Amino acid sequence: MRRKLLALAIGAVFFVPLYMTLVNVFKRGDRIAPEPASLPIPPTLANLDAVLSRTDNLFWVSLTNSIMVTSLSIIVLTVLSAMLGHYLARTPGLWSKALTLLLLSGLMIPPQVILKPVVDVLRFLQLMETPQTRLVGLVLFNVGYYVPFGVFVFAGFVRSIPIELEESAALDGAGRMQVFWRIVFPLLRPATASVLIFLGVWIWNDFLNPLIILGPGTGTTITTGIYRSIGQYQQDFGSLFAFMFLATLPVLLFFLLLQKQFVKGLTGGATKG
Amino acid sequence: MRRRFTHFLSFGGPGVAIYSALVLLPIIVSFGYSLTNYNPFNPPTKFVGLRNYSLLFSDEEFLTSLRVTTILTVIVVIVPNALGLAIAVLLDRKGWVYNALRSVFFVPVVLSSVVVSIIWTRLLDSEGLLNQTLRAVGVSDPPGWLSDPDYALYSLGGILSWQMLGFCVVVYLAGLQGVPAELLEAAAIDGAGPFRRFWRVTWPMIAPALTVNTVILLITAFKVFDHVQIITRGGPGTGTTATIAYLVLEEAFVANRPGYASAEAIVMLLIIATASAVALKLLQRREVDL
Repeated sequence: MRRKLLALAIGAVFFVPLYMTLVNVFKRGDRIAPEPASLPIPPTLANLDAVLSRTDNLFWVSLTNSIMVTSLSIIVLTVLSAMLGHYLARTPGLWSKALTLLLLSGLMIPPQVILKPVVDVLRFLQLMETPQTRLVGLVLFNVGYYVPFGVFVFAGFVRSIPIELEESAALDGAGRMQVFWRIVFPLLRPATASVLIFLGVWIWNDFLNPLIILGPGTGTTITTGIYRSIGQYQQDFGSLFAFMFLATLPVLLFFLLLQKQFVKGLTGGATKG
Repeated sequence: MRRRFTHFLSFGGPGVAIYSALVLLPIIVSFGYSLTNYNPFNPPTKFVGLRNYSLLFSDEEFLTSLRVTTILTVIVVIVPNALGLAIAVLLDRKGWVYNALRSVFFVPVVLSSVVVSIIWTRLLDSEGLLNQTLRAVGVSDPPGWLSDPDYALYSLGGILSWQMLGFCVVVYLAGLQGVPAELLEAAAIDGAGPFRRFWRVTWPMIAPALTVNTVILLITAFKVFDHVQIITRGGPGTGTTATIAYLVLEEAFVANRPGYASAEAIVMLLIIATASAVALKLLQRREVDL
């Protein structure tokens, strides 16, 4: 019992920042600064409404961009890194070892180190022209930057499934692509789930790459959209909290629904060391 | 031979091509830039050899950023690691209360750093919730957590620790659940008390969790940019919270000196690669010794 109380007390202190955010989403704007921790009685939807009905549509534009960038990036990443991971895990020899090493070395390169040349490469590819092409550029960079992570997860998983399955399917005359997509890929489901979850959350929450590649002005994602609205909401904390709440809702729901997979994906790597 | 090549092209080609164009090539280009005086507003760009690098080591701004980043990294490697272990031990029980608390601690891990930064900016504002509370309990002149140069960096360390704590808790919990109950029972029968059991059995058994947490925290802390950009913009005062990642981006995109910025970036890459490799080696040796 004492243990439970102690745990609850620590959890409550830890929760204060989240509590403060939640109550202020539903509190009248002028009451937030003087009494940040009071309950929102009576509750109001004015803050949420103000964000959703902005004349510049900042929230909706940002949400659309975030959904497009995130979903495109994680789909392309899953397809490319599953195939590349399978290739590396099933191809013996020096060449594939060298390639694996080359990819793994990309795992810990901070984006700051390469962002300037990345923008130059995207400009060379004529992807820095309009807000739309910049979105394509951002997706491409996400794919390049996170491919090592995807390959790392998939290659590890492929090694744990018996090769005989693929061999017998190949004997039956199925082509390589067919064997991979029909037989192997369905078996990789746990790896696919952790790649989708992790990269989905990382890319959704990413601030730096959209800030630099899309710019803070036009074509914001949800994170750079919040950043842009800080200045505009200097006094209107209610709207700022509401914007953050709406931006976080998809990830939070996703997390609450898939909690087991989140934790499993994370700790799988941890216990294997 | 040709069949093997088409196999590579169809399975690995696209991934390797995009990775090469947007990660490998930029590293090489970045190194190339660092050997020039590249500045789009001050052409022509000339090869200057290692001059940028030699300038770095007498550049007060750069040296300050190294110091700031080191302090921040030390805080963020130690605080969530230690608190995370304590909380994991506390929560290592069955029941819905403990399950719910695990989720609570994990929430900040899935929040964007933008959201975390804004929440804490409001909370630590000189008129924010923390100082209102402190005044209410009789502290007449509470500090400006983010506006006082003596406090800002430590506040930033605290914010990052809050965000990373849940990650450590979950990794330690997985480690704790991997400790065989028989081993702990055997130790208890041999007369070992709870403290001794933890120190002699549990702690060595969860070595892999310590390795994972330490390396992840090290890398995360070393490249902190978002929180600095949103909360303090490198201030208050000159560079009191300007991390190396913040400085690199300021130089490259605001001051428009990509040549010099790239030299800073390459040094940053070398430090982070060395530090994480050394940490990994040391911690894994500990695991093997078991």
